[in-house]
Amino acid sequence: MANLVQETALTQHTTRDLLLQVRDLTVTYQTRNGSLNAIEHLNFDMYRGEVLGLVGESGSGKSTLGKALLRMILPPGSISAGQILFDGKNILQFSAEQMRDIRGRQISMIFQDPMTSLNPVQRLDDHIIEAIRVHEPQVSRQEALKRAQELVSRLGIEPRRLNDYPHQLSGGMRQRIMIGLALALKAKLIIADEPTTSLDVIVEAQFLDLLRELKDEYGLTILLISHNIGIVAELADRVAVMYAGQIVEVSDSDQVFHNPLHPYTDGLMKSIPNISLEAEHQTLYRMEGSPPNLINPPSGCRFNPRCPHMMPEICPIKVPPLTLIPTQPSSEHQAACWLHIPHDKPE
Amino acid sequence: MQSNQARRWQKSLDGAGFIRQIWRSRRWYGADWWFVAASAVLLLVFLYAALFPQTIAPYDPEAEVGPAFLPPRQAPVDIVIVARAADNVKSLLDLGGDNDAIGIVAGGQSSTALRDRENEINAGRATPIRPDISRYDTMDEMLAALAKGEIKAAIGNPAEITPLLSKYAGTAIAGPLKESSGQGFALGTDELGHDELSRLIWGTRIALVVGLSSALVAALLGVPLGLASGFAGGWPDRWLTLLMDSLYSFPGLILAIAIAAVLGPGIGNVIVAIAVLYIPTYYRVVRGQTLAIKQELFIEAAQSLGANRFTILLRYVFPNTISSIVVLFSVNVADAILTEAGLSFLGLGLPPNVPDWGIALSRGQQYIRSAWWLITYPGILIMLVTLGFSVLGESLSEIFNPRLNRV
Amino acid sequence: MAEQSEYPLVELRNVTKHFPVARGFMESLSGQPPKVVHAVEDVSFQIQRGEVFGLAGESGSGKTTTGRLAIHLLKPTSGEVIFNGINLETLSESDMRRMRRQMQAIFQDPFASMNPRMTLGEGIGHGLKIQKLENSAAAIEQRVKEILDHVGLTPAEAYYNRYPHQISGGQRQRAVIARALVLHPDFIMADEPIAMADVSVRSVLLDLMIRLKQEFNLTYLFITHDLATAKYICDRIAIMYLGKIVEIGTIHDVYQNPQHPYTEALLAAVPVPDPRHKRAKPIPAGEIPNPINPPSGCRFHPRCPIAQEVCKHEVPQLRLAPTGGDNLAACHLRTGDYQQLDPTVPTAFHI
Repeated sequence: MANLVQETALTQHTTRDLLLQVRDLTVTYQTRNGSLNAIEHLNFDMYRGEVLGLVGESGSGKSTLGKALLRMILPPGSISAGQILFDGKNILQFSAEQMRDIRGRQISMIFQDPMTSLNPVQRLDDHIIEAIRVHEPQVSRQEALKRAQELVSRLGIEPRRLNDYPHQLSGGMRQRIMIGLALALKAKLIIADEPTTSLDVIVEAQFLDLLRELKDEYGLTILLISHNIGIVAELADRVAVMYAGQIVEVSDSDQVFHNPLHPYTDGLMKSIPNISLEAEHQTLYRMEGSPPNLINPPSGCRFNPRCPHMMPEICPIKVPPLTLIPTQPSSEHQAACWLHIPHDKPE
Repeated sequence: MQSNQARRWQKSLDGAGFIRQIWRSRRWYGADWWFVAASAVLLLVFLYAALFPQTIAPYDPEAEVGPAFLPPRQAPVDIVIVARAADNVKSLLDLGGDNDAIGIVAGGQSSTALRDRENEINAGRATPIRPDISRYDTMDEMLAALAKGEIKAAIGNPAEITPLLSKYAGTAIAGPLKESSGQGFALGTDELGHDELSRLIWGTRIALVVGLSSALVAALLGVPLGLASGFAGGWPDRWLTLLMDSLYSFPGLILAIAIAAVLGPGIGNVIVAIAVLYIPTYYRVVRGQTLAIKQELFIEAAQSLGANRFTILLRYVFPNTISSIVVLFSVNVADAILTEAGLSFLGLGLPPNVPDWGIALSRGQQYIRSAWWLITYPGILIMLVTLGFSVLGESLSEIFNPRLNRV
Repeated sequence: MAEQSEYPLVELRNVTKHFPVARGFMESLSGQPPKVVHAVEDVSFQIQRGEVFGLAGESGSGKTTTGRLAIHLLKPTSGEVIFNGINLETLSESDMRRMRRQMQAIFQDPFASMNPRMTLGEGIGHGLKIQKLENSAAAIEQRVKEILDHVGLTPAEAYYNRYPHQISGGQRQRAVIARALVLHPDFIMADEPIAMADVSVRSVLLDLMIRLKQEFNLTYLFITHDLATAKYICDRIAIMYLGKIVEIGTIHDVYQNPQHPYTEALLAAVPVPDPRHKRAKPIPAGEIPNPINPPSGCRFHPRCPIAQEVCKHEVPQLRLAPTGGDNLAACHLRTGDYQQLDPTVPTAFHI
């Protein structure tokens, strides 16, 4: 039943160019205290050229989702159900060979610590030239080097730094190089998992500015995973909010921040200190409790024990599906909350 | 359903005591807990054998209770005397004369049986008998010589000898050389006719004493040194590390041999030699851990509470090294038993009459072709006790590692 | 509780801290003088009783080192740390340990700052035992349970025997706060106390800290990289860059009227959780340089959008802002003698 409602909600935007469709994705981890679903029945879409911000606290499953999209979930975890349609094809059915192609060329991943994805004994020019020649093997080394120099200048790095090894760069420069590699690879999708968390606030702002410019210039599609709501607000076109392994709300950025429907989103937005407010002393909302243990999550809506609007007759009993809420100003505001989903009162 | 149970265990573990924690944590291992239990049971059996060997050992380990080289679970054979019917020989007592040559086939149990019987008879006599022995390569040669009268009697295994007697006229079985005890030995006998099983059971005591005490002595020295050195730093740390590293860089057994050779044989000296060998392992591991823990925030937190250095070392650093010490200890016990065996094997350990696995191995090795059991059973025991300690150590470290118990 | 006195609770006077850089064996043979990291250079400030004093900056700014210096977890290379009128340098080691009862610390990572082998009860009660504030085990337990109630770990019995790994991150930070408070200190150095907490837990912790400050008459040194959080909790703030304070003043003056170009940049760079917000000011290029070789003169000059020749040579002193606020800034062009040097110097921008 619930799935039908979702399907109609999700298939509305056929006019825009779909790049990624995630359907019913579930990732299960086996722990010694039992199995837990880090992600449960997740559904969302991404369109070409958009930045989708994925917001959540630690343990919400947002990083697991990033890894699942590249099928990089390591045992004891596994993708136990669902589909990931990338460019119309379900990559969960791909061979190891095909997945290497996806990981190496089509989807680029930017991690919190870029050192993990740069080869420490290879110079930067080699990294970028290699990436360029993945797509155009006929390009000469000379030509590729020239392009690499143009590319890094565009990223705000002096071309002479191409002779350096990754460890000789600062954290901010390394993240720029990671973006550069994604550009050189002409990646269709960039998954940025907490890309600025290890950066200082000024470097973070520089990096976000760069990312915003590049996004417009190259039409990048970015899945921006972050716990920092501020940077998501700066960059994302649409925002998905995750709580305890599920998406509780998706809409365009402005709506999520100014018209949140799910009480969790609402509480989250109101509990962040905002430097731009005129008021000398902002009052912060205090969300009681802490995120649940996924081995034994609350029944029904997982947020119900912390929710100020909990309705005892339904919330702890029935799981609210992520549903399009038609009454909202945005035509695509989805939320998983019984406050907004029409329902019959159970006996 | 399953997850609910998991939570209950977790809950019941909060606030449980040390022993109860071990008992309850068995469930965390799912299908593997029996593995841990099996090793614990194994070690308990070894411990019992070490404490009360007399209750389970069938024989005195130093008594010659049977023929030499008797294979496991084989009854000792009755060796018989064969003579010409005319000579009227009934027993060994009739063969004490000067010209009474006795034939035996070289190798096998006949010669030891003959010697045993001879000693038995001579024990109560003023004039000992001295039979003259002639050795032959085959049974046929021996019986031919008997038929010709070159020797007065022949001895051998009746099962082998009886079918041949018809070929040599006038020869017949004259009587038994010695009445056998009738029953066999579970693990056979060694070259001196000791019961192998009894020797191994008594040997458990030596193995555990040497293994546990050398690991303990090494831990008692290595752990405080590692803690102090890592925590204090500076030049004492540098010098001590240099010393320990040079000790560590010696091949283990060679170092033990050198120390044991200087100290001489004896159980105390073996323990010292092996302990010296393991001090650097504790030192290195504990020092490394201390260096890492020293950087932890909770050390700084303890400083800000006003704790002095000794309190910090004792309450904050040391408890966090215990899990690796436990693992190291169990592995070292196992290793020490092997090293002790090695030392005894080389004759640098314990006196040779002591029932000890290492000595059993070293002696058995000489007879590996004819008596496989002499080397196999001590080997299996060393392996089992090593395995038991290792598995138990690993499991304990996992059970008591609080960081692993997180959901 | 604390008797009122004229002097500030904590005062740092020209405090400098250098750390030697670890050298390889060959380097130590080369005969060159060992390199040092200039972590904190000539820092002075006062923290008044009952205030929340913020210390903000990027990593490498020396804010954490300054915090450690303020409670004497580190000894200054030069300069004085004065607590309650006592120069901490003059205390014997055992006197200093006794003095620690009055100054406690809360660290960024609550999990790392608790001994994993001690239950919450043992860990929190250990301070009482060390300081000999209670003698019997029962009295210690009583005090610990009271403080657990205070920080919201209720019922206290349920937490007393738990290990740090058995509770959530937010609860752990409450336990760390309890460990500091059980000694009834006057001063708490809080080093990024909410940075590791989940977003939904941060506001709860901040409000807890504010409540406890009133209940226990506390004074906080609140170290943070997040100016939005600092705005929420602090009364006064000092902005640090490469080991030096570049600006100091009340939150109102510093945020509404920043004088130092670095303060401006930092304020502009704070991400605002509002997609409608547009950044008013460009972000200066470059990153914080290596503190082994800090730039000459004003340490910010290589990245400063308004730097002049003088900035390369002369170290600016903290001076009062000409705008009438109480904030002091160390900038030749905005607050120093060279104010009139360039009439095109942009005025401080308002957020």
